[in-house]
Amino acid sequence: MIKKLINPFYYIAGLKSLALGLAIIILSSTIGYFSHTHFPSIISIKTSPDMPLWYFIIQNLINWLTISTFMYIAAILFSKSKVRIIDIYGTQALARYPYFPAAFIGFSEALELFGKYILWTTLKMGEPVEISNIEIMVAVTLIVFSLLLTIWLIALMFNAFKISANIKGSKLSIIFIIVLVISVIITEYLNYQFTLKLY
Amino acid sequence: MDKKLPISCPSCSAGLKVKSLYCENCETTITGQFELPVLLRLEPREQNFILDFIQCSGSLKLMASKLNLSYPTVRNMLDDLIGKIKNLQHHD
Repeated sequence: MIKKLINPFYYIAGLKSLALGLAIIILSSTIGYFSHTHFPSIISIKTSPDMPLWYFIIQNLINWLTISTFMYIAAILFSKSKVRIIDIYGTQALARYPYFPAAFIGFSEALELFGKYILWTTLKMGEPVEISNIEIMVAVTLIVFSLLLTIWLIALMFNAFKISANIKGSKLSIIFIIVLVISVIITEYLNYQFTLKLY
Repeated sequence: MDKKLPISCPSCSAGLKVKSLYCENCETTITGQFELPVLLRLEPREQNFILDFIQCSGSLKLMASKLNLSYPTVRNMLDDLIGKIKNLQHHD
């Protein structure tokens, strides 16, 4: 059971994982639209401004396509196996399923309130905010929860890459870290430009 | 009880060789020094993988569905096996 949660790609890949992964991405985007939660980079969860539904969907697709494309290029360059493009894109789509529960985080107002409270108390930005101890506890719990989901997502992306590209050992870890860092920077930039154009 | 063919020495882990062969029919014993074929030097699960692969007509897709594993998992198993066989042949 734990193996299936951490490494479902041992059992599922290709078209099946692509269809499942895309369904999860679209569902997460739709829930994010209602809860005002968006994912401005491949490993980031934030409360979002008011945006149309397609903004959330495109943002999630940008994240998935960017990491998958870089992983495919890395696999072609460094793998000795015959790598199928459908396995890379399919497993990376399915790897994003921990962000499905993450899309619900925005339904609680505690996180946004806590953010405003921190801004006011540390930087004197915005307006004074009154926040109860319970709201602080809820916000901290949600922050820890989103952090755990992000760690789970990274573990899934790593296992997806390991199986679909068949790269092993320290070479795998080094390539994965480089691809992850490049993808974070690029998705952050692309999503920032995309958001700017909508304002 | 199925006896497992030992392929490495339990004392020093070196690869074993065949010293004698015996005919049950006429009780003839042949002694000498013979190398074990590459396929017999593989682990039983690896030998089973090869048998399954042949029975699936060499189709990784069929193998994946038979073993309830994903296609890249089965392809990685095959690639590991190819690597091991090449390594064994290289040491011959």
